[in-house]
Amino acid sequence: MQIKNLRIDPAWETRLESIGYGYHSTGGVPYWIDDYYYEISNQEADLIYNATNELWQMCLNAVEYLINKQEYKHFHIPSFMTPHIERSWEQDDPSIYGRFDFAYDADHGQLKMLEFNADTPTSLFEAAIVQWYWKKHYFPELTDQFNGIHEQLIESWAALKPYLKGSILHFSCAKETLEDLTNVEYLRDTALQAGIQTKLIYIDDIGWAGNGFVDLEGTPIRSIFKLYPWEWLSREDFGVHIVADPNRAQWIEPSWKMLLANKAILPVLWELFPNHPYLLASYYNRPTHLMHFVKKPILSREGANITMYYDGQEIYHTEGEYGDEGHIYQELATLYRAQTGFSIIGSWVIGQESCGISFRESDMPITTDKSRFIPHIIRH
Amino acid sequence: MRKTAAKSVQLVLITSVLASCAQPQSQQGGEAKQRVFMRADSTAAYTEVTDNYSQERSGLGMGNALLWYMAFRHLGGGLGYANNNLHPQSVAGTNAAKAAAFQAQRGGFGRTAVSSPKSSYGA
Repeated sequence: MQIKNLRIDPAWETRLESIGYGYHSTGGVPYWIDDYYYEISNQEADLIYNATNELWQMCLNAVEYLINKQEYKHFHIPSFMTPHIERSWEQDDPSIYGRFDFAYDADHGQLKMLEFNADTPTSLFEAAIVQWYWKKHYFPELTDQFNGIHEQLIESWAALKPYLKGSILHFSCAKETLEDLTNVEYLRDTALQAGIQTKLIYIDDIGWAGNGFVDLEGTPIRSIFKLYPWEWLSREDFGVHIVADPNRAQWIEPSWKMLLANKAILPVLWELFPNHPYLLASYYNRPTHLMHFVKKPILSREGANITMYYDGQEIYHTEGEYGDEGHIYQELATLYRAQTGFSIIGSWVIGQESCGISFRESDMPITTDKSRFIPHIIRH
Repeated sequence: MRKTAAKSVQLVLITSVLASCAQPQSQQGGEAKQRVFMRADSTAAYTEVTDNYSQERSGLGMGNALLWYMAFRHLGGGLGYANNNLHPQSVAGTNAAKAAAFQAQRGGFGRTAVSSPKSSYGA
């Protein structure tokens, strides 16, 4: 795996915007990298593919374990939500997607799971579509990419269609965020292509009619995909209606994903699969035997409120508004470092199968919302 | 194994939302004088909403500003269709279903996003 440079296409911004990618830069600073990329080997792609599939099964085992033991205390989930979580698991309420973030130690050929973005993973549109069009622009037809995301999404929606409640699948996200709207509209696009009838409704436009959730036209919401964190939904005014809903609306991602999206799952995985080669040692309390580790809030997004320790001393800290619910401690991973920065691998699991990757790069060894998206190809 | 694929990617929605980002700047001048009227049901009366959004927003054309206005118009008063940007007379007309939808409580989700504005609420 290595960084390679390209002669930049002077019209790269226009090219990206023509396929509907409107947030390639933030304040004039590119978020999307067009003029360099990662070249990975087939063996590295296989390693990521196998690790993702295995970790997904391990995560499902961990959910089963937690629900059987009803052991939720470290997760700080509102107690009224636990029956909903258990019901959604027992009913096999389907998940459509998730993204594992990996550290890659090239010297030892080791992948380590940093976390699992199980509830509201973003950068899906960049990974599935933008980097595919990027490859088509710069490389010959036979050049490959670890990216079957688009096809996998359509196939997964088609497989899921018979199990959806009602005739319409609503899609929802917050207002005034182009990134989330693009991701949701992309997902809705793939659902449409799978033959599902869909409607878009912003999260704050969802209505409660006393006997169920309704959209802006009063149509009952029976199945809904939401790009909005479960921990926020459950703590807002309508959160109690989710549990009381007579229609028992089907939420995607399902509420059992609250267990996997929470970093409190990391010590559970380490307990269930100690010393597993894809895992980093993780604990609820500060480990006395580790000198290099990271302190992460159990609920946080985009690298906020992370503290990194080396030789027991704090060396990095990111700002944010998370951490009230508690933290976990995770062994410090070796990140892949190129001349352009530190990179992590985002690996997508869609419809139960690994199907594509993306790279995010930062100037410091913590990935944040400012981290750059780097496309890739597979070397043959 | 779904590692790689020979794609024939087709998208329906995304480009319709965002393709107008590439509209030429020269369209701005003439559009500033346009007036916009809206209604949410074909049996309701049109009312003017021209002043409810900025035609100069982001320096883009009228079509784009209108798109953003429709996409991101704020909910006001907790009344679904009856947001502050659309006159109540233009909401339901004789459409009983919409009149009923008018009665639903709104705004019970989304508060956290409003209180912590970000470019994305994903991870």
